[in-house]
Amino acid sequence: MSNIRDRVVAVTSRVLRLDPGKIRPEHAFASDLGAESVQSIELIAMFEEEFGIEMEEDAALGVQTVGGAADYIAKTCREQGVKVEG
Amino acid sequence: MSDKHRAYPLVDRTEPNLLEDTFDYGLPPRIRFDGPIVEYIDGKPVEFNPADLAARDIVITDTTFRDGQQARPPYTLDQMVHIYDLMAKLGGPNGVIRQTEFFLYTANDRRTLDSCRDLGHKYPECTGWIRADKGDFRLVREAGLSETGILTSCSDYHIFQKMKHKSRKDCLEAFCEVVDAAFEAGVRPRCHLEDVTRADIDGFVLPFCERLLRMSEQVPEHLSAKIRLCDTMGFGVSFPGAMLPRSVPKLIYKLNQQLGVPSDRLEWHGHNDFHKVHANAATAWLYGCDALNATLFGFGERTGNPPLEGALIEYISLRGYLCGIETQVITELADYMRSIGMPIPDHYPLVGRCFNTTSAGIHAGGLRQDERIYNIFDTTALLGRPPRVAITDKSGADGVAHWVNEFFGLKGEHRISKIKMHKLARWVLDQYEQHKRLTSIGDEEMEVKVREFLPEHWKKYGPRSAC
Repeated sequence: MSNIRDRVVAVTSRVLRLDPGKIRPEHAFASDLGAESVQSIELIAMFEEEFGIEMEEDAALGVQTVGGAADYIAKTCREQGVKVEG
Repeated sequence: MSDKHRAYPLVDRTEPNLLEDTFDYGLPPRIRFDGPIVEYIDGKPVEFNPADLAARDIVITDTTFRDGQQARPPYTLDQMVHIYDLMAKLGGPNGVIRQTEFFLYTANDRRTLDSCRDLGHKYPECTGWIRADKGDFRLVREAGLSETGILTSCSDYHIFQKMKHKSRKDCLEAFCEVVDAAFEAGVRPRCHLEDVTRADIDGFVLPFCERLLRMSEQVPEHLSAKIRLCDTMGFGVSFPGAMLPRSVPKLIYKLNQQLGVPSDRLEWHGHNDFHKVHANAATAWLYGCDALNATLFGFGERTGNPPLEGALIEYISLRGYLCGIETQVITELADYMRSIGMPIPDHYPLVGRCFNTTSAGIHAGGLRQDERIYNIFDTTALLGRPPRVAITDKSGADGVAHWVNEFFGLKGEHRISKIKMHKLARWVLDQYEQHKRLTSIGDEEMEVKVREFLPEHWKKYGPRSAC
């Protein structure tokens, strides 16, 4: 999970142009990290690319926090048979 | 909460109540009434029951070729024949668009009338329009028309200031001579009470109309005089309690119920100088006047007349069924009008290019989930116009996704997820944030970018027209 979380933080910092050291699991993408509508979509698209998975749009958009994203991605990887470290 | 206010406990539900008795998406929304309307007239309460409307043969009459043409350069013969043909198709076999009126003064006017009649449509019936001049009945007779409008202006602005009559009596007698001439010619007169909303109702309008009633008793029913109430300057108001001569309800009541002019011999003709034109016309229907006079897209003298297409939608809303009206022809007529140089504003209801186009991303998001959220009725089925989104800085990913899916014609589970459109959504946003663009992004420009950012989908679904 820690590996997934690190990769989620890396993608988030790249898309939102933030220092990865300042991104915490409890941070909400919109209210804490300032993700706007289009950036939320870009984040999901980049997570899909990073992990090689397909996410369901409404469910993915319902994820609020960085930690929640890592959990959701881990679950989706398991469901789609994608192996990830951690 | 104080004792005088009623409490409203929440009625909780887990399923939505979409009020479909009123908002049946397949039709324009119903206009339903709780019960009678009460107006105080001459100090007494008078009840009007909207339910009576169901039993009356309410109709729309058209003046696109008369008043409508007073606001623009003349139509060509071919254009008028085509418009007449489409109007016949629009109004349907029951004649919801019952009549249309023609000038008769020039050879071209008369050729046009003949060409329209040669199409053989039962509706709209062709009628004429002449000044209050006895000699003009020769034109009506020669044209073979059974009914004509006659200008019988009734305010003192017209009687004294324009027509220079010595007295109201002098004016009334002159009008009656013309009506007599119509009867003698075997032509039904339709007296156009010009400027009625600025007239002395008890002092001139009612005495004149009473005289018309008496004169009509002397002729066969099919010749009996009709009365068109002309709100020439748009002074009419529909609000209950408003005073005469501006009150539409009271004008109709006085003529219909106090004087006894039957509903099927009353017609309302309005103008839009105070943005009240359609509401006033529909009010006239409601209070006992059967005919609503209108023009296509409201084109008419100065600010225009009641829009015919709006009256049709109102008709369906009041009736609750189409009654043979072919609503998609509204769009066909608008396209034709544009093609002959008649401007229709982009945001004009029912036919403007943007009438069901939303720009805000949050609205586009609603459309994506259920188009009923931000569309007035099934505009695809009734007008051939699916709801659309315009792409601007407010569109967001939802707006872009809606545009693309509409462009490809994809519905339900086949719609492309907005996640797949993130590059396109980013490009749109950058136009405004990075490049400081101030205009919306047009369809052609979007098509180019869809091809660039969604090449696989383009290969599979495109190219197709977005409009």
